Amino acid sequence: MEDLFTSEIVRAENLKKTFTLSRKQQRLEKTSLTRKVAVNGLSFSANRGEIYGLLGPNGAGKTTTLRMLSTLIKPDEGDAYIMGHSVRKEPQKVRDCVGFLTGELKLETFFTPDYLFDFFGAMHGVEKETLVKRKRELFARFGIDAFSQVKVGDLSTGMKQKVSLVISIVHDPDVVIFDEPTNGLDVLTAKVVTDFLAELKRMGKSVLLSTHIFSLVEKLCDRVGIIIDGKMVEEGPLEGVCGERSLEEKFFELYHGLKGEIV
Amino acid sequence: MKLVALIKKEFHRFFHDPRLIVTILLPGIVIFLLYTLLGNIIHTEESREMKVYLSGNSAVVEVLEQQIKESGDKVEWLPLENEEEARAAVKEGEATAILTFSENFDLFGEGARAGIVYDSGSENGSYFYGLVTSVLISVGMRFPIDVQTVNDSADMGREILTSLLPFLVVTFVFSACMSVTLESVAGEKERGTLSTILATSVKRSHIALGKIIPLSCISAIGAASSFLGVVLSLPKLMGLDAAMFTGYSFISYLLLFLLILSFVPLIVSAIATVSTLSRSVKEASAYTSVLMILVMIVSIVSLIVAQFGDWVVAVPVLNAVTAMGQILSGMLPVWQSLVSVGVNLVFTALLVWLIAKMLSSERVMFGK
Repeated sequence: MEDLFTSEIVRAENLKKTFTLSRKQQRLEKTSLTRKVAVNGLSFSANRGEIYGLLGPNGAGKTTTLRMLSTLIKPDEGDAYIMGHSVRKEPQKVRDCVGFLTGELKLETFFTPDYLFDFFGAMHGVEKETLVKRKRELFARFGIDAFSQVKVGDLSTGMKQKVSLVISIVHDPDVVIFDEPTNGLDVLTAKVVTDFLAELKRMGKSVLLSTHIFSLVEKLCDRVGIIIDGKMVEEGPLEGVCGERSLEEKFFELYHGLKGEIV
Repeated sequence: MKLVALIKKEFHRFFHDPRLIVTILLPGIVIFLLYTLLGNIIHTEESREMKVYLSGNSAVVEVLEQQIKESGDKVEWLPLENEEEARAAVKEGEATAILTFSENFDLFGEGARAGIVYDSGSENGSYFYGLVTSVLISVGMRFPIDVQTVNDSADMGREILTSLLPFLVVTFVFSACMSVTLESVAGEKERGTLSTILATSVKRSHIALGKIIPLSCISAIGAASSFLGVVLSLPKLMGLDAAMFTGYSFISYLLLFLLILSFVPLIVSAIATVSTLSRSVKEASAYTSVLMILVMIVSIVSLIVAQFGDWVVAVPVLNAVTAMGQILSGMLPVWQSLVSVGVNLVFTALLVWLIAKMLSSERVMFGK
């Protein structure tokens, strides 16, 4: 029982988040409502050495959930615990053990990957010797050495994503949260990222990722949570959720059950 | 350690970007060249011939005579026998000024005073007045000079200069602060790079200080560049002797320096607050323009209102402008200046605290 409890690295309990809609957003979403429930009573857990995939369409609440877990925004209701630390009450401690990468988080184009790695290492309080060693390892693994002194603004999308990836794990976090990690990447860079996610799992790290790519979840994830309209409609080990069907079939079965057939 | 890294990052960006360096230094160079050119066009370099009525004697007169000779000008000293006639001569332009010294003037004794009557509308009169006050300050005169003008119109010389300079300082400080702060704070927020830092375990107060400290230093360089441009070229533009700026004591310069030094982080913090609230550089620019107008109004008020009560030290911006004006007029408002510096730093600290709070607010940072 104790082993089971200590292996639970991430636990989300009844997370809820509501946003105020601007007039522009109301027009876009064709609604007169001034508030939108982005995440509604979401609960799930991820264990050490697991990759947990949050699967859902655009606007389902995946990014909002991950941002709550990484303490960028606070849940209105409920709480989440990372390594036993509450995201509501101990955000600073949570940030120490989480690496967060999202397409919305950008790197300053003026600086070089080398400078930014050192800078974010300092932001996480990584000691200089450790930082040098880690930079050598990660830069070599991702082939960043070749462009480590080139300004980020002059790099390709794939190169930037590689730099973002290594910077998000500069402090060797126990939990790594990736929001759509392969979005906009060419096949070669996407392969580097997925291989790295698998290696993080082997290293005993917990990885939480959001995606709308079924094959990525099937290839990498141990557990999956399907989110539609801010609610967790199905959650559990991949085999348990899918059964005899493919993940894609299962997803659309759930989706059509809630929203009706897509015309 | 984290704060040091944040500060170093801002400096690194600034000192490795030639465009930013030019943005900061160019205004000072342009102001100097422009004002000097205008001054050369407006004022000819013909030598002045001055007639001054003198009452009483002082070593100051010798210093004045020497400086006038060195400038290639001439002065004729006339004994003051009938003050009414002398005043009429000054008003008619037949004489430049009346200069009076009390008997114990050189002894700095009780009741020691100097007085000057001149035509503030005349170029020679303003020049002579500027020269007298700068010499008096340089010899360590610590008591006021009785100044009377025979012209009701505004003084085109030193009075405008001394009241205008604080206003110009505020303007240049604000411009310098605006050019670096908007891009650094609102720009980072717009590009999403600030969120990347927010996802780390660094304290929000450190992020705020990591912006305000380096941006204040950079802005101070820009403000100093513009200020030097003005100080070096304005006497030429106004047809005054540049020596008037060298006549101030070390304490005067120290107080001016401290006032500007306290004023820069205050303005940087105010612009950073507005920038943190804004969603884009464009939006921040619009709000900062309103802020600039407010600061300008406060500065202009200090030009119009002759004297404020002691309460002025509690009003940011106005306290610095008023104290700077007094220093440039030859006074030494030590306690007012020091309290003003303290007040400005307290307001800066409050704004830094506010920025740190806003960095923690998802409504402000992510617009939710």
